[in-house]
Amino acid sequence: MIDGNSFEEIYSQHKNLVYNLCLNYVLNTEDAQDMTQEVFVKVHQRYQQFNPATASLKTWIYQIAINHCLDFLKSKKTSKRFGFITSLFHQDTNEPKDIAPVIQHPGIAAEDKEGLDRLLLIIYSLPENQKTAIILVKMEDRPQREVAEIMNISIKAVESLLQRAKQTIAKKIMETEGL
Amino acid sequence: MNIDNKLDELRRIKQVDAPPFLYTRIMQQIENLAEIPVSIKWRWAYAASAILILALNLSILLNQNITDKNSSIESVVSGMQLTNTNLLYNE
Repeated sequence: MIDGNSFEEIYSQHKNLVYNLCLNYVLNTEDAQDMTQEVFVKVHQRYQQFNPATASLKTWIYQIAINHCLDFLKSKKTSKRFGFITSLFHQDTNEPKDIAPVIQHPGIAAEDKEGLDRLLLIIYSLPENQKTAIILVKMEDRPQREVAEIMNISIKAVESLLQRAKQTIAKKIMETEGL
Repeated sequence: MNIDNKLDELRRIKQVDAPPFLYTRIMQQIENLAEIPVSIKWRWAYAASAILILALNLSILLNQNITDKNSSIESVVSGMQLTNTNLLYNE
């Protein structure tokens, strides 16, 4: 367990990092707030497991936040699939089955919204590892060395993930633009 | 199309501040999750009572099975008017 003052300090130093990272994964403020809350509760509960010899506090918090966001997205996907099955039995509800999330990112200016929303949706649909690499490098602006440490993989593996992610994104952009 | 230029557009997304009410919500959740410590004395008492209940249930079950076996055979014999003699007809 961690004492109140230390936790408050950790929270104030990392709250924006965690909140913005969660926003980049879940793409809406409500879920990002819930995610941030749950991440810090985990940080509080697992603080004794943190080993400064293996990773910095920032890297450790990044890892908790990324895993939590990925778990959340996985459970969201599963519940959507389950929702589809139940809708087969309750056909009176004609709600649209939107797989893509409704983007409500406060960091996006109104004039950029259309273009960025399309790009964010493509990133949202990427496989987990590619998505994490793109978010950390391109959105969080972290150096590849740090990304490798956070993802617990080699720098070469990060480069490879980025390369594959870029290829997928380029392909999807061409598909959506009808090229 | 240069994909790197396209991805550089992501840098236009501004970093935002976490809402100020989040800290209170986090502390509230941590307090709610805080486990109420149970003393060793109570843990032993719970374990002993659980074992006692299990032992009582087992002994009742075993006794019931023995009496049930005998009584069920007798009830079938009398219910179907069967005899345990070698005579074919009841004369």
